[in-house]
Amino acid sequence: MEVTDTKKGDYLVINLSGRLDTSNYGELEKKLIGFIEAGDKKIAVDCSGLVYISSSGLRVLLMALKKITAAGGKFHLCCLQDNIREIFEIAGFTSIFRVFDTLDEATA
Amino acid sequence: MEKHISIVNQLAQLDELAVAIEGISEEWELPMSLSMNLNLVLEELVTNIIFYGYEDTNEHHINIMLDKEDKLITVQIEDDAREFNPLLMAEPNIENSIEDRKIGGLGIFFVRKIMEEVTYKRDGNKNVLTMTKSIE
Repeated sequence: MEVTDTKKGDYLVINLSGRLDTSNYGELEKKLIGFIEAGDKKIAVDCSGLVYISSSGLRVLLMALKKITAAGGKFHLCCLQDNIREIFEIAGFTSIFRVFDTLDEATA
Repeated sequence: MEKHISIVNQLAQLDELAVAIEGISEEWELPMSLSMNLNLVLEELVTNIIFYGYEDTNEHHINIMLDKEDKLITVQIEDDAREFNPLLMAEPNIENSIEDRKIGGLGIFFVRKIMEEVTYKRDGNKNVLTMTKSIE
């Protein structure tokens, strides 16, 4: 998995690529907590390069969503590949996350 | 067509599991989504076994078998961890709001949603979980 971040307007954009699973979710968790504790309240996660996610990865995203929502911020996702979207749907995550088709919409 | 993957109870083995599933999927010409789903189901089960299954710190083997007959894939996991029947786990409530949504229980839920028939048996000191999935 690769995690990079950039700024786009008001949003901090996190690009995820590769596989997010039990062997590496801790890395993303640390980064997200770091950003949230540093005061970032508008985060968009670009998943266009994400090819695999397991429940460990979903847990990290849910943790971030809860923390940011509690702080009055926004945590958006965009650009899910079909396989990833299917997993989100099974988990019921499409109804609690704001998921956009494009990064522009996710950061508008 | 029977394939075997043998791993030990270490999380680092998940990478090898992924590579093995990818290889088998290529050989069997499985759709990408099915390959990913098989990987997901196995990762969730193996992770559970490694995290919660053992009371000692010894090395244990987890044996995975995959078989394909026409349009049906059978997957079996056998381990010597303590008795655990995933079919007895309560399902998470996936309709809760953000605040109420629990952070656990999703792994086994995926197994039950993705796979078709799932059967568990305790065979001596082994857990044997057998699952099927049709190729669409």
